[in-house]
Formats: sequence, structure tokens, C-alpha cells
Amino acid sequence: MNVIVLYLLLVKATLTSFSGLASLPMVRNDFVVRRHALTDRQLNTAVAAGRIGPGPIGIYVVSVGYLAGGVPGACAGWLAMITPAFLIIPMLRFLGARAEHPRARAVARAVLFAGAGLMASAAVPLARDAITNPLAVGIFIASFLLIASARVDSLWVMLGAALAGLIAFQV
Amino acid sequence: MARPRIADLSSLFARVGVTVFGGGDPTIAILQREFYRRDWLSPEKFAIAFGLARLTPGTNVLAFCAAAGWYILELGGALAAVLAITIPASVLVVWLTRAYDLTVHYRLAQSIANALLAAAVGTMIGAALLLVRSQCKSGRWLKPVAISIGAFLLAFLVKLTPLQVIGLAAVAGFFWPES
Repeated sequence: MNVIVLYLLLVKATLTSFSGLASLPMVRNDFVVRRHALTDRQLNTAVAAGRIGPGPIGIYVVSVGYLAGGVPGACAGWLAMITPAFLIIPMLRFLGARAEHPRARAVARAVLFAGAGLMASAAVPLARDAITNPLAVGIFIASFLLIASARVDSLWVMLGAALAGLIAFQV
Repeated sequence: MARPRIADLSSLFARVGVTVFGGGDPTIAILQREFYRRDWLSPEKFAIAFGLARLTPGTNVLAFCAAAGWYILELGGALAAVLAITIPASVLVVWLTRAYDLTVHYRLAQSIANALLAAAVGTMIGAALLLVRSQCKSGRWLKPVAISIGAFLLAFLVKLTPLQVIGLAAVAGFFWPES
């Protein structure tokens, strides 16, 4: 697939969604249903690769680009992923001094608190898939306590979890 | 506020980009902790960047990184933040795409992937708690706790979309000003 068309299709999907996987229906419609550039299995692989790795969930569009157009396609996917992010700069410039207004600050803080609630709600379905045995329960509790206490870098939490998975496999 | 070198800013974002699992929310929570520890961003600017990022199309965490980078080092900071957090992670995701079919067939890889997923869930919930706690000033816990629990219930039980929940929170914030 032409790299420019690939970029335009992916940026259309990212510009019209407001969270990581919200662009998925449009990506599927364009790449699987209309253009047959990917199969459903390839799309699932892209989503899984995006979820098992670090970084934002929306990074799956890089994987979609790679599967549809190789390394140039991955670059188009990456560009489509980051393009909308820069729209926030004119928003910040426009808000400028207004953002210091007490009511504007109150709104921003309320959105922040809601974000924490949304984060917890997004974790529930993931927990159903992930916490299925005693080892997973132990890793979940340990990770929660270490991150909530703000004393341990998440890198060490993840390395510890990987080590626990490795040991569990050997035992 | 301290003004870091662009190399230090890029280094932090690149490190967080390849080490934080579970998507954008834990990434933002970890960045918040790092910003406060280094005195790079005030809680007020953090809250504005977070709120506006939720209203920006695309991947929210990248808009947040652009805003935080902009506040810290203007346009160069915004570019450095977005490039540093996405390029190493994108290289990794391409590699994972190639490796994914292998992981499905290898039990060792599955065992490690399952452990990482459980840790990602713990990280997400821990990060949510940290996010609320860091904004609770002395004795002023009612608003953070009420809005975050309300948002959880609206998303989880009432099944409102994130955008609807954020809109309702913004209205609540407007009519429930800071004391």
C-alpha cells in the first residue's frame, strides 16, 4: 500500500478518536473491510503487540502500518499517531493566562480526578484477563503497593514481574 | 521551576516510554511523579496539561507529553518529549509484531507476558491512587475522592464513554470551585 495513503487513512482514524483503541473500528473498516490490506488476524496481532509492549495503547497503529507497508508503513503509522498530539499547543497558547483563573483550574483538576477514576475502571476488564492464578494475584498486589507507595520505579516493578514469570515457569 | 537541558528531558521521556506498561494513564502518573521530584512542572500546569490532553484528538498521553514538554521547554520541549516517548516504543512494537506469533507458541514467553500483564494492572490501579493522593491538599480530600469515585462508577456501571465522563467532571469542577 502507498505510504502516503497509509498515513492519510491512519491519521483520519487517529484525528477522529479520543483514546488509544477508539480508532480501531475506523482502522478495521478501512484496512480490513474496504481495502483488504490486512486480515482480522493481522489486526488482532497489531492490537496484541501494542498491548503487551510498553507505551500508549494507541501505538498499535505503528504495528498496523508495519503489517500493511513494512518499515515505511511503520513510519507512516508512527507519524499518524503523533500528528494529533501537537494540536494541544495552540490550545495551550489560546488558554494561556485564562488557565490561571481559579475556575479554569478547578475544571482542570476535576478532569484530572475523573482521569484517575477512568484509569481504575479501565483496569477492571484487564484484571479479569490477567489475574487468573495465585501468582498473578501476588504480582498484582505487590505492583499496586510498590507503585502506590511511590517508592519504586515502575521499571523495577516490571522487571520483578518478568522475573517472577520466569521463575514460575521453571518451577 | 527548574529548567532542564533538552537531553535530560528527552532521556526521561524515552526511559518512561519503554518501561511503563499498561497504556497512557500509568505513563502520565509516572511522569507526574518524575516532574514533581525534579521540580520541572507545577501541579497547576500538570492539571491543565492533563485536562486539555483529554480533550485533544488522538492518543491522550502523547498530547499530554506535548503539553508538558511545551510548559517545560517550549516548542523544542514539546517535540523532544513526543519524539522521545514514541520512537523507542515504536521500534519495540514493530519487533513485538514480528515476535508475536512466536510468543503464542512458547509457554515461557506466555508465562512472562502473563506476569507483566498482572503487574500492569497493579501499576494502573496504584497509579490512579497516586494521582488522586498527590492532588489532595491538607484536609481537602472530599472533591478529589468524590469526583474520582464518581467517574469510576459512571464509566464502569453506567457505561458512559470517557469523553462523557470527562465532560461531566468538567461541569462538576466548574460549579464546585476550589476553596
